[in-house]
Amino acid sequence: MTNQTVIKVGSKATGFWGKFRTLLARRTEGRAVVLFAIIATVVTVSQPLVFTAYQVTLGRIALIGLVALGLTAVILMGELDLSVASTLAVSGVIAVTVANQTNMAIGVLAALAAGVVISLINAFFVAIVGINSFIATLGMLFALRGMAFVISDEAPVKLQNTDLGIAFGQPLLGPLTPRILIFFLIFIAIQIFVSRVKAGREFLAVGGNRQAAYDAGIPVKRRIFTGFIISGVVAAIAGIINAVERTSADPTSGSTVLLASFAAAIIGGNYLKGGKGSIVGTLIGAASLGMLQVALTISGVQIPIQEIFIGGILLIAVITDPSSLRAVWGSLSTTFQGIKNSLAK
Amino acid sequence: MAKETFTEAMIVAKDPQDSKTTKPKTTFIGFVADKGIFFFTGILVLTAVLFVDGFASLQNVTDVFHRAAPIGIVALGMTFVVITGNYLDLSVVAQAAAAGVILIAVSNAYNLIIAFAVAFVVAIIFGLANGIAVGYFKANAVIVTLATTYIGLGLLRLLSGGSQVFGPADGPIATFGTSKLGPFPYSAVVLVAVTLVLTFVLTRTNFGFTIRSFGVNGSATRLAGTNTGLIVIGAFMVTSMAAMFAGFVLAAFSNTAVSNMASGFDFQALAAIIVGGTSVFGGKGSVPRTLLGVVFVSILSNVLVLVQVSYGFQQVAIGSLIVLAVTVDALGRRVSKK
Repeated sequence: MTNQTVIKVGSKATGFWGKFRTLLARRTEGRAVVLFAIIATVVTVSQPLVFTAYQVTLGRIALIGLVALGLTAVILMGELDLSVASTLAVSGVIAVTVANQTNMAIGVLAALAAGVVISLINAFFVAIVGINSFIATLGMLFALRGMAFVISDEAPVKLQNTDLGIAFGQPLLGPLTPRILIFFLIFIAIQIFVSRVKAGREFLAVGGNRQAAYDAGIPVKRRIFTGFIISGVVAAIAGIINAVERTSADPTSGSTVLLASFAAAIIGGNYLKGGKGSIVGTLIGAASLGMLQVALTISGVQIPIQEIFIGGILLIAVITDPSSLRAVWGSLSTTFQGIKNSLAK
Repeated sequence: MAKETFTEAMIVAKDPQDSKTTKPKTTFIGFVADKGIFFFTGILVLTAVLFVDGFASLQNVTDVFHRAAPIGIVALGMTFVVITGNYLDLSVVAQAAAAGVILIAVSNAYNLIIAFAVAFVVAIIFGLANGIAVGYFKANAVIVTLATTYIGLGLLRLLSGGSQVFGPADGPIATFGTSKLGPFPYSAVVLVAVTLVLTFVLTRTNFGFTIRSFGVNGSATRLAGTNTGLIVIGAFMVTSMAAMFAGFVLAAFSNTAVSNMASGFDFQALAAIIVGGTSVFGGKGSVPRTLLGVVFVSILSNVLVLVQVSYGFQQVAIGSLIVLAVTVDALGRRVSKK
């Protein structure tokens, strides 16, 4: 569905098993599902509290996953937006500062506008100037973190309207808090955009082969702008939610979000060079990480060990990428051939 | 021997700067990208001397070099990774902190030799982990080193308890941190020594040639019969060793070490490398250029502190500097390709 790669196994594959194999070859979420199954099994056995307190777990998944969803839109095009972590901090600080002076609605609008402006700057450097997105957004990550410090005067800004913050933490629809609802709404919106809307489907084409996409008449630069705006705005929304829920905006927030959201997107099977991946994969990745974090927290595991866990999962996820495994297999088989040849002599 | 001349010929043919026959017309932006750092450093120093109070004192200049040394050593080593076209090594933050904490904690518990040995082993593990993941698994260097940063910092916090470790006040580490060779602190001497060694490695050895040719054209270097995975591991290993020395110097400077003491090193080192004129696209760059970039970034930070700019604006300045320098580099490349 969302997957662009056309693998011609469908011609011979018939029956249930064949269809299953076709599905398996087309989807990129394999590793995410495996990790999810492992974590879910272990958690069910050792910490069933994670499912009992599903509200907490869902909240954590929404926290990790929201930024990752926006990030996926950019990764599908083979670009990367490292600045999301600082966008989150800046927009939170802006939302609270403006809201304290006027009201919340204007604060939210100002923060969203900041998200759009930041992503326009990112996209300008990537699409128009032609800088590698890793480096451009890395510079932005640093500059924006400084910006958050400047706006907040180097200290967390308190939200004066604390009633709103308390109301925001309460369940709104059934057991679901606004954060979880917003997360699922954004998930559905981006999923529909990427899989059903023409502009969104073209993201995969831009990521798969940019020259071919350009030749086919796809406005590549405009798509890159759209992708960055999605990731910037979603990061800004995450920043606003964080600030309102905690009734304070911390300029240093976001550094752990960077690791967790990248881990969620990459575990989700999104190919970093672009062209392959899905929003559903990111959701599964975020769900696995969220469950893992809640389980570790409930078990009383220290923060450093949690960081080691997530860092380790990210490292394993990035080196078990199909193309990575192919690269290793290639160099190993060359080495073995070399050994075999020298033995034959 | 034949391999070496071949890779060298490849660099010459590919790099318009070195080639006499295919030299393109020099445009302004190309000129700025290539030689701009010399002028900008000159202008910055001149402005600082004339207009900033307290800049041109011996005390302040010594202080600038003292602070520049750890970041500079990291940047010099990381230049190798940037030249291979692998963007940067974020994990230097964890590596330098680990080396510093190990140096002080282990030398307190056992002795200095064992501390050096442990730090050396840790640096090798970091270099191997990053290098294998990037070189053999062809994984993205930014993501890999982001992961190893968190694993490394997590382990460090876990093992050190997250608290600061102090060395004895009259120990060899404290003596090293406060001693001077003439007017220069030992840390500046280490910086110069690392520059000389790494310049030699990059320009005069087979390894250095292969690093540069890999940065220019990775697949051609592989087809020429080089084990490119090993080259990437080598580049990350150089960075790890440099980060280790940076951690030593940083720990000796204040005779204390803590797990977050090197935060911000990754960006400042990258800023120094890119401002110096080493291209993030790989292949183009040199160690002395990075030293010049370090001087520029350090003087800029010093001037910003002296004119009492807030911490936030300093970060904005360095972040914008990275983006600006990369923009100039990208535009310069576009011009020279035409």
